[in-house]
Amino acid sequence: MKYLVYVFRNIRRNPVRTLLTVASISICLFLMMLLLSYLTINTEVAHSLSDYNRLITMSSQGFTQPVPIANVATVAAMEGIATVGELTPEDKEHRDKKAVSPFSWYGGRYKDDSMPGSQFGIDPETIFAIMVEMKLPPDQLKAFRDDKTGCVIGKKLAKDKNLKIGDPYPLKGTVYEFNLDLTIRGIYDAPENRDNRMCLYHWAYLDEGLKRDFQGRAAGNAGTIYFKCKDAAAMPGLIKKIDDSFRNSSTPTKTQTEEAFAQMFSEMIGDLQTLIVAVGMAVVVSLICVCGVAMAMSMRERTTEVAVLKAIGFGRGLVLALVLVEAVIVSTLGGVVGALGTKLLFDQFDLGSLVPGFLPFFYVPWTTALFGLGLAVLIGFVSGVLPAWLAAQTSVIQGLRKVV
Amino acid sequence: MGQEPAIALRGVCKEYRREQIKIPVLTDLKLTVDEGEFLALMGPSGSGKTTLLNLLAGLDRPTTGEVVVHGQDLAQMSEGQIARWRSRNVGFIFQLYNLIPVLTAFENVEMPLLLTSLSKRQRRENVRTALRVVGLEGREDHFPRQLSGGQEQRVAIARAIVTDPYLLVADEPTGDLDRQSAEEILELMEQLHREFQKTIVMVTHDPIAARRASRLLKLDKGKLVGDVIQAQEVAS
Ligand SMILES: Nc1ncnc2c1ncn2[C@@H]1O[C@H](COP(=O)(O)OP(=O)(O)OP(=O)(O)O)[C@@H](O)[C@H]1O
Ligand SMILES: [Mg+2]
Repeated sequence: MKYLVYVFRNIRRNPVRTLLTVASISICLFLMMLLLSYLTINTEVAHSLSDYNRLITMSSQGFTQPVPIANVATVAAMEGIATVGELTPEDKEHRDKKAVSPFSWYGGRYKDDSMPGSQFGIDPETIFAIMVEMKLPPDQLKAFRDDKTGCVIGKKLAKDKNLKIGDPYPLKGTVYEFNLDLTIRGIYDAPENRDNRMCLYHWAYLDEGLKRDFQGRAAGNAGTIYFKCKDAAAMPGLIKKIDDSFRNSSTPTKTQTEEAFAQMFSEMIGDLQTLIVAVGMAVVVSLICVCGVAMAMSMRERTTEVAVLKAIGFGRGLVLALVLVEAVIVSTLGGVVGALGTKLLFDQFDLGSLVPGFLPFFYVPWTTALFGLGLAVLIGFVSGVLPAWLAAQTSVIQGLRKVV
Repeated sequence: MGQEPAIALRGVCKEYRREQIKIPVLTDLKLTVDEGEFLALMGPSGSGKTTLLNLLAGLDRPTTGEVVVHGQDLAQMSEGQIARWRSRNVGFIFQLYNLIPVLTAFENVEMPLLLTSLSKRQRRENVRTALRVVGLEGREDHFPRQLSGGQEQRVAIARAIVTDPYLLVADEPTGDLDRQSAEEILELMEQLHREFQKTIVMVTHDPIAARRASRLLKLDKGKLVGDVIQAQEVAS
């Protein structure tokens, strides 16, 4: 501890070099935090979904392929699916209805959005029982159900676009040629790790448009089917039963847990993930070199000084430790700015508001931030080893002769 | 004071090796220094003065021969042991002061004490005392660049004496100073010798400086060529 004054003075000895070292570490960590957080969030969110006992049925050909709307009723008829009343007892009106809903993508554009949030056609009678973590006040739910062209949007979307209940929310088709003239009837509130930038509207209203478009060839498509099971134990049996019952139809299905469905998206970028990790490792190695060079140059300037310290009686181990501690402190500073700074930045600033369709929400998980900080400490330590060892080896006589 | 000499060199040879060629620097040196002596070491450039100083300060080892300082045979000690021994027994004064530029006068003087188990308070007291001895009280918070050469050398002397070492070695301590500052530094070294009975070995090129010492040793081509006990001048 008593040596820390000296260590900190050394760090401030050449502020420009220290600053540049800190900057190079923190900039690299900033980018790394973005990528790692993205991967971590995907996994974290996927895991958190397993608590809800939800299943998703999609076409066995992939989630972009149609699933007939009639399948919704077939699924609803099956044993083991919860009812609206069981999930949301306050909802008396549709108490006995099974918690099953179509979930159909539209891909419309609001005003001149370049990256709109996602919009889905759903069953207003069941969707808020299935998505229990999405909260909507009862009066808003009723208003939504009563208006066929009504919609419900997430609180963050409302905030981003400064929208309130009663405002029109017209969507212009990008894939389809018809538009949806929606009116906002409710604003839902979901936990932070859920998409608070969706727009949900009546599936029936979407289907009206589809009937007109492409001579109605796209009509009657449920997209995917979301439903909620009574308990986790019933799920494997249900999956098998549902897929079996559609196996010989013209549209076979693939049913899986919501968690598996979410992970499917992560796996789609699986190769990218490997690439990200490889690039990250290359960055770490090059940072070690950059910091090592800075530290070695710094020590070279201090050859005589180190020789004096050793003459006074500073042992090799102490000299080694002083240099290592210095290297670790500098890189830790970079880690604090780069990793913790990135976390604070995205705690304040919501990246999701820029690219809601791609990233409905973004945060740097603590585990990722601490990992980044740990990485910075490691970089400092490894990069300090060689300069520290060289300093410890400094010959007192040669070091003193250099100038004297 | 003990009966043993402070420094005893017997049959000391030192040679440097450059590839295959051996460069003898010191040959068969025999020297005894008593406790409390103030020894001046003179000789032409390259005669081996610094090399000899390094040997008795435990910074270097002889190729052959014995170097016994304060009863310790330095050749028998490991590097770690000798470093610890130096921290307790030797104070160093260099021509270019070699203060640490990022530390204040106080912190520079404190450096050798960090290696001891003294408490922060005890360290502060010792540093203050050392700075008072060299006449720099009130300059604790100055950085080396804020001090004159003479003052820097005083800080260096304070650093050398703060652990109350047995032996002080100085390699051309006035070599970089003007006459006036040099006089003051020599005055100080003489005072350390007189009042604190320190054993001092000082290399110098300056005959006036050498006259301050109690004994003058001349070195030429690695051999002792003169050894004079001189009557000490009283400073004017
Ligand atoms: N590491 C080394 N390798 C080879 N030769 C060396 C080495 N160090 C010193 N020498 C040689 O040893 C001789 C004595 O050097 P030393 O520094 O002891 O002389 P000096 O009397 O202190 O000279 P000066 O008055 O110039 O300081 C010189 O010839 C020098 O070139
Ligand atoms: Mg010399």
